[in-house]
Amino acid sequence: MKVPLTWLKEYVDVKLTAAELAERMALTGTEVERISHAGLPATGGNLDRFIVGQVASRYRHPNADKLSLCQVDTGAGIEQIVCGAANFNAGDKVAVCLPGGLLPGRDEPLSAAVIRGVESRGMMCSEAELGLSAEAAGIMILPEDAPVGGRLADYIPLSDEVLELEVTPNRPDCLSIYGVAREVAAITGRKLKPAPAGEAVPRGDDRIDEIISVEVADSDLCPRYGARLIAGVKVAPSPPWLKARIVAAGMRPVNNVVDITNYVMWTLGEPMHAFDLARISGRQLIVRRAVKDEEIVTIDGTERRLSAGMLLIADAEKPVAVAGIMGGETSEVSAGTTDILLEAANFQGRSVLETSMTLGLRSESSTRFEKGLDQELVPQALAMASRLMVEIAGGRLVPGQIDIQQRPVLPEAVLLRTDRVEALLGIGVPVAEIEVILTRLGFEVEEKEDGLLVLVPSFRADVEREVDLIEEIARVFGLELIPPTLPSGMRVLGGLTSEQAVRRAAVRALAERGLSEIISYSFIMPDFADRLRLDPRDERRQVVALANPLSVEQSVMRTMMLPSLLGTLAANLSLQNQDINIFEQGRIYLPVAGEKLCDERRVIAGCLSGSLKGHSWLAGSGEADFFAGKGIVEALFAGVAGRFSVERAEETFLYPGKSAAVITAGRRAGYVGEVHPLVLEAFDIDIPVVAFEIAEAELIASAAGIIVFEDLITFPASFQDLAIVVEEDRPAAEIVRVVREAGAPLLKAVRVFDVYGGESIGEGKKSVALNLEFRSADRTLTDEDVALVRAAIIDALGDKLNAALRE
Amino acid sequence: MAGLLCHGRLAGRNGLSEDLRKQLEAHAGLALIYEEAWADIERAETTAELEEARVKHLGRKSTLSSLLRSIPELPATERPVVGKFGNQVRIILEAALAERKKVLEGAELERWLSRESVDITLPGQPFPRGHLHLITQTLWQIEDFFSGLGYRIAEGPEVETGYYNFTALNTPEGHPARSLHDTFFAEGKPDVLLRTHTSPVQIRVMEKEDPPVYVIIPGRVYRRDSDATHTPMFHQVEGLAVDEHITLGDLKGTLEAFAKSMFGAEREIRLRPHYFPFTEPSVEVDVSCTICGGAGCRSCKNSGWLEILGAGMVDPNVFGFVGYEPDEVQGFAFGMGVERIAMLKHGITDLRMFYDNDLRFIKQF
Repeated sequence: MKVPLTWLKEYVDVKLTAAELAERMALTGTEVERISHAGLPATGGNLDRFIVGQVASRYRHPNADKLSLCQVDTGAGIEQIVCGAANFNAGDKVAVCLPGGLLPGRDEPLSAAVIRGVESRGMMCSEAELGLSAEAAGIMILPEDAPVGGRLADYIPLSDEVLELEVTPNRPDCLSIYGVAREVAAITGRKLKPAPAGEAVPRGDDRIDEIISVEVADSDLCPRYGARLIAGVKVAPSPPWLKARIVAAGMRPVNNVVDITNYVMWTLGEPMHAFDLARISGRQLIVRRAVKDEEIVTIDGTERRLSAGMLLIADAEKPVAVAGIMGGETSEVSAGTTDILLEAANFQGRSVLETSMTLGLRSESSTRFEKGLDQELVPQALAMASRLMVEIAGGRLVPGQIDIQQRPVLPEAVLLRTDRVEALLGIGVPVAEIEVILTRLGFEVEEKEDGLLVLVPSFRADVEREVDLIEEIARVFGLELIPPTLPSGMRVLGGLTSEQAVRRAAVRALAERGLSEIISYSFIMPDFADRLRLDPRDERRQVVALANPLSVEQSVMRTMMLPSLLGTLAANLSLQNQDINIFEQGRIYLPVAGEKLCDERRVIAGCLSGSLKGHSWLAGSGEADFFAGKGIVEALFAGVAGRFSVERAEETFLYPGKSAAVITAGRRAGYVGEVHPLVLEAFDIDIPVVAFEIAEAELIASAAGIIVFEDLITFPASFQDLAIVVEEDRPAAEIVRVVREAGAPLLKAVRVFDVYGGESIGEGKKSVALNLEFRSADRTLTDEDVALVRAAIIDALGDKLNAALRE
Repeated sequence: MAGLLCHGRLAGRNGLSEDLRKQLEAHAGLALIYEEAWADIERAETTAELEEARVKHLGRKSTLSSLLRSIPELPATERPVVGKFGNQVRIILEAALAERKKVLEGAELERWLSRESVDITLPGQPFPRGHLHLITQTLWQIEDFFSGLGYRIAEGPEVETGYYNFTALNTPEGHPARSLHDTFFAEGKPDVLLRTHTSPVQIRVMEKEDPPVYVIIPGRVYRRDSDATHTPMFHQVEGLAVDEHITLGDLKGTLEAFAKSMFGAEREIRLRPHYFPFTEPSVEVDVSCTICGGAGCRSCKNSGWLEILGAGMVDPNVFGFVGYEPDEVQGFAFGMGVERIAMLKHGITDLRMFYDNDLRFIKQF
């Protein structure tokens, strides 16, 4: 909402500068986005160089046919001015820019010049040059009453500071100059001047209701509908002052009739519409809901198809306006219009909002109506607009008016218990001060035994409850006066849950191993499942799709992390980043049949494509292969003191022989494996990648909680190595299991430290070297103790796995 | 005698005591042996030369060894004297030899080590670390601050219903504030949407728990908007404190402490009245500019203040939705954009960098 300061000052005599006022408004709840300047630059005495002049004489320029040589009375004397325009005569009053004057949008001030051999000391300005309209063909001719020699800016509001307000949706009253003036009066303590009503005197012996009938068929969406008739107007450009106001408010001058409706809207906050009476078919208007597929061409020239239920204004034949949003082209005021039906109405906010959103059509009118307006504005706006029509457009107010209101709106009465003010704010406000604040804001206050009875004015429909009044008091009293405190007597325990702590430990473990965390959008491309070669029946193909995505690439909620990771990896590759080892913690979104919401599962997933050891002049850089991935998963579980085992994975997007399902407590927790080359190709990745994804719930469930001390020191362990020869395809885990079973209870740990296959071992065989740790909790083991267990292990390996000791 | 054996402390010529020197002079052979051996030991510059000296003077074929071996053949009167002093000479020479050996070995080790020198200006072996995303780091800081004050961390669904995201937050259908949120909706389920703020979790927490409630709610939120200052997904931290006597002053004090913890002890905050459907009174909270400290600069548009969050006292209607008695409890709620906090704190100018996931960005923090 643009509020030109001189316009505001018509209603409240505020003494603050624009910046001071903006600060005060910001601290009381009206955000000022910026302070801008409209029209003529005001600095450096510039406004003194623009004056009302009168053309004393006009002759042809001696050296140029198309130029005039004029003597212009500037009040202080006669100046000679050369002018290229042709639309004026001696005696006309004109806008003169004297040498040194700076026009809007120019870098250099005007200087006296010699034009074709003749001196010119000034310029007669067009509307375009003054920033009032696009009219550049001729100079601006001022009305008769313009005072010769007076400052132009005193006659036309040509230069203004403009407060650009961001008005919150609960305060539609501040979408008007007068509403802002009321607010400014309350927060500065200055007096508010009376509302701009005035009234035109009706003339003639006809009556509006004899000329046109209005019916409100759907009064639920139109609680009040008012109209007046102005006969015999002359549609013409607006006078300069009105144009200046319209421009300063950020609108575009159209003609006097339209400018007046916009001016009234800006002043009072009530959107208006002017119909050309002659073009209303059947001399009747009906306010009703549209039926499906009714059509209207709105004044922006767009043909719009309405849906059933949208509120419209129709004449006997067709829709003539989309109620509260935009009028129709057929009944639009044009140059030949003489009789005008002025509409001011109150439309239901929600209906206007929904229609405007459905049509994708927002206007100054709809943005006001959608917030719910004061019904009392209807008669005020009609009165003000009628007066201006008569004054400016030369019309006659036809006697009578139309005002159809469902029921009068009674003022709300709210009881304010004054002790509640301190209880909620933490600071006491004296009752006298409360009364002053509320009264200034337009409330009526009556002292009662149990508090203050507060009558809410019609323009403050947002105030309904005691707490709303307390907010009003707080914001005007001053939030800066409230002492900062902390809640007292807290009876709660804060902190991270163990799950949250474990989650942090998990991601720290990954970061410590060299993986960097990414955060990618939760929505991904819908073809991810095809790119990952997922089976047609794979349930990860079932997604939550967005009805209104920003792009196809961000249109379905992910059911797995891998597409995000591969996308990020590819993007980093194209940026020439190296060693892209990344992970993400976040959710996957799995639809649940019959449920509104989905199953949101937190997962930790990552992918490796480069060295985790860094690059160095020193030898030995780690490769991102299956074992790097598995090592990271091991580090992840170690980070939370958890355990897992593996099985062969059957994921279509992984390298068949180099991928594993991660198992915890018998349940699948995720996978780790090298990514299938075709999948990499689908993501434009040309280097090997190993990926993993682990469900957080399973990771956390595997975590070891509180670790209980175990005495490893009093009775030290003894270690032995064992090398055996087994079939080549015998999994290490199986060997370890057999060894563990046979070695219990003294065997505490088994580590595979070498795997070797070669001619010396034999065809189809491999050698596996194990390091065995033996320990007892109650004694130091003797060589004999260990030898017995070792023998049992060797026997078991021979029996169960046909393994032989390596010679 | 003990003095004689402590070679290191012997005084006089060639390290001999006056007493021993006199005795040796009386046995000219011994004196000569001693003088020569001593000189060779002293002269040796390498362990190899020293070994030569040892073989020459103390080896099996040395004069001294021969002399000592020949003692039985000496006249009976000489035997004890030659035996006694001969052995003393041997012991002294062996000690001198050992000492000299230590010195030479030390010097040789140093010579050898000095040839083993490396270019100490080459980089060390890398142990690369990964980086947590700046959003995570910022979230953790916020979480740690509030958990220190006694708050718990709550979470809730990101795919939400209109009821939790709007209606129960006092924003019924048709409310103009709904259109301020550009909402993503789920296809085929008009009432299901991506939450536009973390506030719906307030409702879910209060539905489940009786007051007092002190929670913060971090998480992803979504709005249908994308430019330099908007990304369709971002992070918020919601805070909710509901108890018997919570005041707007408590909100102010809590957020002031937060701002100081996050941005430095010299930071100030100010509250500006604002409007949110689910709080009344509602405020926006500014922190004194982190760039200029409040003097006014481009970052704060010369106001000296930067907006960091929205807050207010929980609207009684919200309590109505969750079955709390509005006359018995009151509370405050606040919501902050995590990206904004991180941007202000670290001087990041483009919001989109957080989600480009360019490792050159991520690895800075």
